[in-house]
Amino acid sequence: MSDKPVLTLRDLSIEFPTPKGVVQAVKNLDLTIQKGRRVGFIGESGSGKTTTALAVMQMLAEPGRVASGSIDLVGTDVLALTEEEMRKTRLSRIAYIPQGAMNSLNPVMRIEPQLWDGIIAHEGHMERAELKRRSDAALTSVGLPAHTGELFPHELSGGMKQRVCIALGIILNPDLIIADEPTSALDVVTQRQVMQTLNDIQAQIGSGLILIGHDMGLMAQSVDELAVLKDGELVEHGTVKQIIEAPKHPYTQDLISSVPLVGGDSFLNPERNAEAPKRDSSEPLLRFEKVRKDYGAVTALHPMSFALQGDTPQIISIVGQSGSGKSTMGSIMLGFNPPSQGRVLFEGQDVAAMNAAQSLEFRKNVQAVFQDPYACFNPFYRVNHALKFPFKQFGLAQSEAHTQQAMEEACDAVGLDPDLVLSRYPHQLSGGQRQRLIVARALMLSPKLLIADEPVSMVDASLRATILSNIYDLKDKYGISILYITHDLATAYHVSDYVMVLYKGHVVEAGPPKEVIGQPQHPYTQLLIDSIPWPDLDRAWGGGRSDWDPETLEAEAERASAVYRGDVVGFELARV
Amino acid sequence: MPNYSTDDNAAEAETPVSMTRAERRQARRIRRFDNPWMNPKLIWGVSLLMGIIALGLIGRVLWDPELVFTGSAPLKLPPLGFENLRGQPGVLDHPLGTDGGGRDMLALIIIGAPNTLFVGLLASLIGMSIGIFLGFSAGFLGGRIDDTIRVLADVMITIPPLLILVVFQSAFGDVTLTIMALLIAGFVWQSPTRLIRAQVLSMKQSGYVQMAQLSGASTGHIMFKEMLPNLVPYLFGSFIASVTTSIVTAVGLEVLGLGPQRIPTLGRTIYEAINAGALIQNLWWWWGIPTLLLATMFIGLLLINLGLDEVSNPRLRKLS
Amino acid sequence: MGRIPRDYLVNRLVTLVLTILIAATIIWIIPRLSPVDPAEIALGRMASGAGAVANSEEILAQLRANMGIDQPLIVQYFKYLTGALVFDFGLSTAAFPTPVSTLILNALPWTLGLMIFSLIITFFIGNLLGALMVWDRSPKLVRVAIPAAMVFTSIPPILSGLLLMWIFAAKLQWFPLTGAYSIFVEPGWTWDFVSSVLYHGFLPALSIVIVTFGFWTLGMRGLMITVQGEDYVKLAEAKGLRPRYILYRYMIRNAILPQITAFALKIGLLIAGQVLVERIFAYNGMGKLLYDAILNQDFPVIQGVSYVIILMTALSVFLVDLLYPFIDPRIRHEAA
Repeated sequence: MSDKPVLTLRDLSIEFPTPKGVVQAVKNLDLTIQKGRRVGFIGESGSGKTTTALAVMQMLAEPGRVASGSIDLVGTDVLALTEEEMRKTRLSRIAYIPQGAMNSLNPVMRIEPQLWDGIIAHEGHMERAELKRRSDAALTSVGLPAHTGELFPHELSGGMKQRVCIALGIILNPDLIIADEPTSALDVVTQRQVMQTLNDIQAQIGSGLILIGHDMGLMAQSVDELAVLKDGELVEHGTVKQIIEAPKHPYTQDLISSVPLVGGDSFLNPERNAEAPKRDSSEPLLRFEKVRKDYGAVTALHPMSFALQGDTPQIISIVGQSGSGKSTMGSIMLGFNPPSQGRVLFEGQDVAAMNAAQSLEFRKNVQAVFQDPYACFNPFYRVNHALKFPFKQFGLAQSEAHTQQAMEEACDAVGLDPDLVLSRYPHQLSGGQRQRLIVARALMLSPKLLIADEPVSMVDASLRATILSNIYDLKDKYGISILYITHDLATAYHVSDYVMVLYKGHVVEAGPPKEVIGQPQHPYTQLLIDSIPWPDLDRAWGGGRSDWDPETLEAEAERASAVYRGDVVGFELARV
Repeated sequence: MPNYSTDDNAAEAETPVSMTRAERRQARRIRRFDNPWMNPKLIWGVSLLMGIIALGLIGRVLWDPELVFTGSAPLKLPPLGFENLRGQPGVLDHPLGTDGGGRDMLALIIIGAPNTLFVGLLASLIGMSIGIFLGFSAGFLGGRIDDTIRVLADVMITIPPLLILVVFQSAFGDVTLTIMALLIAGFVWQSPTRLIRAQVLSMKQSGYVQMAQLSGASTGHIMFKEMLPNLVPYLFGSFIASVTTSIVTAVGLEVLGLGPQRIPTLGRTIYEAINAGALIQNLWWWWGIPTLLLATMFIGLLLINLGLDEVSNPRLRKLS
Repeated sequence: MGRIPRDYLVNRLVTLVLTILIAATIIWIIPRLSPVDPAEIALGRMASGAGAVANSEEILAQLRANMGIDQPLIVQYFKYLTGALVFDFGLSTAAFPTPVSTLILNALPWTLGLMIFSLIITFFIGNLLGALMVWDRSPKLVRVAIPAAMVFTSIPPILSGLLLMWIFAAKLQWFPLTGAYSIFVEPGWTWDFVSSVLYHGFLPALSIVIVTFGFWTLGMRGLMITVQGEDYVKLAEAKGLRPRYILYRYMIRNAILPQITAFALKIGLLIAGQVLVERIFAYNGMGKLLYDAILNQDFPVIQGVSYVIILMTALSVFLVDLLYPFIDPRIRHEAA
């Protein structure tokens, strides 16, 4: 290989003809990637980062096209290649590691043939033993046992599938690897493992790397240079150090500040400390009595008991990775999912054994915000249906005008313009707007308890803080107690009064966030914190240790007993 | 105003650059996304079926329906502009010719075509109602009820309706159109049941149904106000598919000489034509005209089905 | 079978047995509900043959005893069921005293031959065309021609049969009008006979193929569109695989899976449609047997033919279900 740049983009513009005219997805992009360098493309959805990568692959979706400019791959003009030449260039010179590792492998083919067909397509047929040797070598190089090749994709975990995709990407030693949000569907722990694998292997074969992403923290920990894209334009480009420490463009500054840090400044502004609504019952608002949930032979939640008094509004965070049992807890609390053992009591009344009137009362007082703002609105109705219907159902509406007024007030409170939003259909609103409407709905119904299950994980990063502060206001201004279910320790740190860390259905550490997240003591909490990529160069991933091995750490975590770090008024967690 | 940052908003902000002709055509195609129901296939299909219904309605007024009776006209006359084997030309009194029993073909199709369509529509209406009821019950109630309905639908879907009906009709002899429709309805509920069950099961997990539950909605409200409206395109599609199946079954029975014996239907006309050796005698209009009409009916149904597919699955629209 | 999960197997077996049982029961009950007395039909047939029949009451009783319909219904039912297990449906009333099973055995090979031939051809052609309709490298001609050909698919097979018969047999006289083989050749494994069978079978098979391929084409088109958008197809392209390889190994291989299930479910309908085609072409199969039985009110034959066709349908569904876990590895995994 020469010392020419791996990739040179000159004045690249990409456009999509639409009914309203031609949209320029990428505008006059100039960028050079040197050999062995890792360059991050960062921006929100629609910023043109994936489009640029696909243009390099010559795989733009119809009707997209390169309008002007040039793409040069180590001296080859990519745009001048014929279809067949381009086919041969893919994988052998540019490898693409896709975003949806979950679905990126052919479900009816074993892993090995999916590696082999890539080799055969470029180098022709060869001995099976030779193919086997190469696929085994590729799998081993990404830290997978060689026998993985004999499995079907559905037999692998998400992290393993993503590594298979990486193995596939490097199998022909390409000049350039393009990784499109390779870890977006993975847990933080797995994310760190996969990124480490990717970086090691890239350093080993010495290719260029484009890492596409939206998470400033992940970028800070993984790449050498950053290219910040907004609406198809390259707004800033420089080394990670330059950009993180002295961002010039306001958009870059926003991106950096939108990542909540443990410690650091809060994005919330507590002001009112409202009282909880008066209650008739002296029983706790919500009580878990040895609640356990099994799915077949798997125990999703081990017996757990707690009582939330509800007289002092509190935000209790339940933190864990997928499979920790946190979402199961949420659906049990809402009465959607009956516990296998134990009881859930709402003001002394068993949720599973309520009559119609009690059930309506329970629904009125326990509301929820779910993860997916796109699914929460019935596509058949205008969005105000979701606000109006429960308001009337719970007998809160005095008249049409009163309902309308309540809806408008609730919208105002979450920063939405009621005239613009209420009479629209769900598909006309963005995810952020919809999620705020759901928060407005909760506000309008003024429940005593709100269960917020990953409320911001599907919303663009720049809106997360706003929506979380809307939710925080529910407690702060309206005295609603909140159970905040999340995988994100940093937001839990800022929002909550009490944190429970869940691991495989057990509480492993619980207490005030400053202690649990600020100075974790349980090995699992430490593992989680270490896995978070901070947008801070002085704070290297996991303290920069190279002997980082999640398997041993997890094994250690399973042996360790739960750590209780202090209590908070109005919430008692039974110690096991 | 809250800050948007989605793809489409960014796109809308752009100013249109001047477009080529191909791009304008593309634009027109994409614009169809705005109102999916304005689908050319759908419109054509509905028009064809409406045409057949109109033929039945207007025909009764403008033409003499008494001509469907045996011997009301000369035998085996060809359509206007043709000659039969005996050298007789077609006459204006019987523009589509007459059959071997001396019945006027035009009157036969005016009476027969709506009859055939009626059986299909009635059978599917009943079948769909059963399907909606069972599908919702299975999806919603779950447990034993679900198992029973599911196995029953699986079992019934493998039994060819035509055979059971053949057994039935040869045992009972003549039936009315309505009874035939009822019998066919017993075999067209399985597909809608399976479809609705599957949809209900997936919708039950959907965010908006959970939201409705949180809003204290009753089961009835969730079924009929939240779920059913979203099922409409599927229900339509399934309905049209079962109309097709019903008509195929009905015509099949009629062509075998079963089904209503004294009521003119398209299938019965074909049965009589084959029995009388119309193929060898080159009396093509006797079986050809009902065949053509049935074909029109099925093409209409096919177009509606394709159109509905495109309405409910936007991905399909991109191709056309 | 070691790799098919047990639960799955049990589930399929229960469905198979239930299907056969329910279908057998329905075809047994219906004639019992009818006011028509088969003994009287038989008597009537004798009377029309002999002019008049003396001591008709005795003969009726005798006939009823012969047919076994003098016994309690429940006894009749179980006799029927045990008989059905060994394909014993009694004697044909029209072709008395030929056993129904003999008639069916004679007709079955014709139907099976025609069916297997046309079903398989249809399935392959239909799915391939459906896939080509979606594939972005298909010749433009293919993409235009297929939708045009779809017009045929909306027509029931009897109609296509009629049209083909008229054009190719009556008008052009390229093919024989009816029958399964020429009356001038001796049945046997001779070239004359085999070629005659193929020659006679062409039009019936074609009329089934041209009207049913569209069902698969349409279904495949929808499935291919979904598969086309899958990540694994995008990655396959990014791997620089040859387009044809992607089409077969990545796209069709995945899109075909639901089609195979649909194949099992549709077999019944297709066989029933074929019965009608056989009737039009006077083909010596089950369809013609059934049709003649209907004309003669020959209930044992009607029952027997219906039962065998339903049994074939249920067995094919069962077979497809058994093979399915080997075609889609995910099923094996989920059920286990």
